Amino acid sequence: MSLEDPQDQRGAQDRELVGVTEEGVDYDALEDLLGEKVIGRESHVNAEAFVIRPDEVQDTLFALRDEAGFDHCSCLTAQEYEDRYESIYHLKKYDDPTQEVGVVVPTSKRAPRSQTAEPVYRTADWHEREAYDLIGIDYDEHPDLRRILLPETWQGHPMGMDYNQDQPQVVTFESHTNPLAEDHKGEESDTMFINIGPHHPATHGVLHLKTVLDGEQVADVKPDIGYLHRCEEQMAQQGKYRKEIMPYPDRWDYSSAGILNEWAYARAAEDLADIDVPEYAQVVRTMSAELSRMAGHMLAVGTFALDVYGDFTAIFQYAFRDREKILNLLEDLTGQRLMFNYLRLGGLAWDLPEPREEYFDTVRDFLDELPQNVEEYHDLISSNEIFQIRCVDTGVLEPDVAKSYGATGPVARGSGIDYDLRRDDPYGYYPELDWDVITEDGCDNYARVLCRLQEVEQSARIIEQCVDLLEDWPEEDREIQSNVPRTLRPDEDAEIYRAVEAAKGELGIYIRSDGTDKPARFKIRSPCFSNLQTLPELSEGEYIPDLVASLGSLDIILGEVDR
Amino acid sequence: MTGTAGTVGETASVFLQSGSGQGATEGAPLADTVGRLLGFGSNMGPGETLIAAFIGAFFIGNLMLAMTGVAGPWAKRKITAAFTDRIAVNRVGPFGLLIIVADAVRLLSKELVVPDGVDRPAWDIAPILMAGSALLGFAVIPMGNGIQLADPETGLVYVFAVSSLASLGLVAAGYASNNKYSLLGGLRSIAQNIAYEIPLVITAASVVIFAGTLQLSGIVAAQTEPLVTILGVSIPAWYAFVNPFAFVLFMAANLAEVGRNPFDIPEAPTEIVAGYQTEYSSVYFVLMYLGEFLHIFLGGAIIATLFLGGPAGPVLPGIVWFIIKIWAVFLFTQWMRSAIPRVRIDQLIEIGWKGMLVLSFANLVLTAVIVGLIA
Amino acid sequence: MIGLFKSMATTMKHALDGSTFTVEYPETTPEVSPRFRGVHKFSQERCIWCRQCENVCPNDTIQIVMDDQRNGEQYNLHIGQCIYCRLCEEVCPVDAILLTQNFEFTGDTKDDLAYNKEQLKNVPWYKDIDPLQSREPDRGAWIGEGEGEVDYE
Repeated sequence: MSLEDPQDQRGAQDRELVGVTEEGVDYDALEDLLGEKVIGRESHVNAEAFVIRPDEVQDTLFALRDEAGFDHCSCLTAQEYEDRYESIYHLKKYDDPTQEVGVVVPTSKRAPRSQTAEPVYRTADWHEREAYDLIGIDYDEHPDLRRILLPETWQGHPMGMDYNQDQPQVVTFESHTNPLAEDHKGEESDTMFINIGPHHPATHGVLHLKTVLDGEQVADVKPDIGYLHRCEEQMAQQGKYRKEIMPYPDRWDYSSAGILNEWAYARAAEDLADIDVPEYAQVVRTMSAELSRMAGHMLAVGTFALDVYGDFTAIFQYAFRDREKILNLLEDLTGQRLMFNYLRLGGLAWDLPEPREEYFDTVRDFLDELPQNVEEYHDLISSNEIFQIRCVDTGVLEPDVAKSYGATGPVARGSGIDYDLRRDDPYGYYPELDWDVITEDGCDNYARVLCRLQEVEQSARIIEQCVDLLEDWPEEDREIQSNVPRTLRPDEDAEIYRAVEAAKGELGIYIRSDGTDKPARFKIRSPCFSNLQTLPELSEGEYIPDLVASLGSLDIILGEVDR
Repeated sequence: MTGTAGTVGETASVFLQSGSGQGATEGAPLADTVGRLLGFGSNMGPGETLIAAFIGAFFIGNLMLAMTGVAGPWAKRKITAAFTDRIAVNRVGPFGLLIIVADAVRLLSKELVVPDGVDRPAWDIAPILMAGSALLGFAVIPMGNGIQLADPETGLVYVFAVSSLASLGLVAAGYASNNKYSLLGGLRSIAQNIAYEIPLVITAASVVIFAGTLQLSGIVAAQTEPLVTILGVSIPAWYAFVNPFAFVLFMAANLAEVGRNPFDIPEAPTEIVAGYQTEYSSVYFVLMYLGEFLHIFLGGAIIATLFLGGPAGPVLPGIVWFIIKIWAVFLFTQWMRSAIPRVRIDQLIEIGWKGMLVLSFANLVLTAVIVGLIA
Repeated sequence: MIGLFKSMATTMKHALDGSTFTVEYPETTPEVSPRFRGVHKFSQERCIWCRQCENVCPNDTIQIVMDDQRNGEQYNLHIGQCIYCRLCEEVCPVDAILLTQNFEFTGDTKDDLAYNKEQLKNVPWYKDIDPLQSREPDRGAWIGEGEGEVDYE
């Protein structure tokens, strides 16, 4: 019952939404809407936030969703203060992501209990599990409040304040859950439980799908994540803003989409510390980010073909070949092929490589070849009839469901949701350039793949314009770095949530500063994390091959899911 | 060039005549040849026949195993590499050919891991059954130059009978491995084999209607006459030319029978790991792999015999042509593997029962009507 | 069916054109860009023991040991732990630590990859490329950063 009848939602959209004005969100109107529920107001850098009581979460969020149109629960950040726990729901609108509002739910230190938001936004399910796992907030009425990233047997909540990192995790062998142990046949049961992963050719990393099969059909699937949890948030909290955090974003989505991830951190930190980025650097950032996106999409298309075709097929290799060419370009630009560490707060590490003309020529050569290569992919993949019968109308993700799960990126656009932060929440040099947001209405695996292939072409358009701009850029104006203090100390208690459009979708960063040179809370909103959550919706009732294909079409990178 | 082609065709038919001429004699032709070479005389006793037959079988079995040895570790990699713009094995020996030896040593020296709870006799028999069933099929294939172990009158039926034994191996491997992926693979393979064996046999039956015999040497002999002669080039009456529709059907059904894309779902590495062969290692894995490739070659041999005139061909000896034809079919399976996605199990069953079966029956009826009208 | 044939034709085209994208690695050494970040090279002569590299290193890869007079004694760098972010080179005011283009290094154990200053000094250039020269045009952007002179923390 977590989703309203679609009819009702459409009705809600026709109604006048509360708090919408020409200039954006009218927070006073929202406060009036919520009335008594609001017990305080906070001002975050990105938006205003309302403080509410922990037992009125659902009422508040329902009101904001249905009356004010905040249909996108982008992120849930949980954190512990000296005197309280806090959950922040970052709400946005799919129609206009610049309209944001935060909902802050403080809970007492002694018994951190807060009402769950799962009935309002299904995406809150996993986000709240993560908050419970790492911080230790209990969410009342949550359907399945278990640990999500750490093992079930973990003791303590590692991002809580009183957690002792040196304490050994003593776990007896017996208390480990062993999925193989109970091999039994239930009475009258005609289903089969099967572990797909964590070591399986099709899980694109270490993902574990607890699958219940009814014959060949998937009766139930529960993704089990956390095998690649590397404490990225904590590592970021231990690094100084200025430089030491920047190498890590490359390691979230490691499908060579690193620059996009770096940009997510750069954008959040720059807005937090009020740093300007020179225009020239913005153009180079845009170009390199789009190269990253292309490389990521090439990998996505190639591995999807791998899942559907089987074995190391030609398409996978061709996609890898094209990705390799992009990596060569990025290597010339940044110095590495995967872990770029290219962006800096307020600019870039390096200007374009000398001789510039030569570099522009290689980029142009690549772009000239690209249409032909994309045509080849269409020949190989999208026009192949067997591929079509495999992918059309399988793994269907309805737009309403996608929104409820907070799906973004090609997954959302493949379901016809016209949502792209590059256009809707502009940053970088994107607003000055001429390109289109790709949407497909198929809602199926085929639409998602088609979406990626077309986005590659759009990225090529962007890069082409950037190259033109850079070529004519006057030499004296090539400023790659603005003046940034050596040690950044953003204002105390400044909070910001900022997102960029990464290869997989909306990659958001929440930073809270405590006045020192390191973030007090650094939260990563990973697009893959939310997108993976839709997998049961895509695959239940379908066949195993479709489960695998759906997983491939979601294009998750476990490094980003688990962080 | 075109002028000589006619004579070339004639030479080939002479070869073929000599081959099938020997085949027409009663009993085991290859055994006779071997017996003559050993000096047993024309009237061999039972003991001498047995020795000669064993030597003949040894020769054919090893020929096929050697081809598999080349195909598995080397040719398959090279072909796939060509399709994917790579280089592939090139370090060990000339063109990397010695990788065959290296791989054999590597695979055979590995530990044979016997998982907990496997159903022991069945688990052991399955790989042997798979490799053995394919080898048995080669016993009746006329390979030209008198190389044919036996030529029973029901040769075609025999080939299909023994090659279907592999399904037994597949399902035994699937259930005996005590692994759910293996079980799924075994079930899938049995569903697939049943769905595609029927169209396969029915399509072959249309060839039998044309040839009027089940004897494989007879089917080959029936394909020797020229179909048409265009500009001095005589096109032989291979059933691939006489009835291309049946040929395409048979090729497709054969892909399913040997489990290659788009019908490689019993293995489907990205879905069910490796299907029935998940739990096999070392020698058993080699046997499984051998069995798979032998089946591709047997499929190629059947196609060559039924549709491509068996060992017929100009200039080169029959056995060479026969091997070329087998390899062409192998190449085709590898080509499909690189280009065609695999279908889903329900789609596979649908294509099998609703498409192929209907088409193959239509083909059979049509052939029967045409042959009835002409004859 | 046309789509199937298109797919087959495309792969066959690739098979027949005979071109390969992969190379035979040890014989054909890959071209690496001047900016490529490989194993570090350390120059004790240049180093002024300011410890900025140790400070900036995101995952404590660099360990510097000094005596009471602040004279450098040891400079250890665990190249197996390093994430090759190049921040140490970026902050170094005297170019004492450089990331060469050399990516060909091995070790039998983790400990083999913990290099001391002698080992770091002996790291060879890759194809005789001196990264300092090839990267020179850009270094100004970082060395003279901020206002005033460089702060040695």
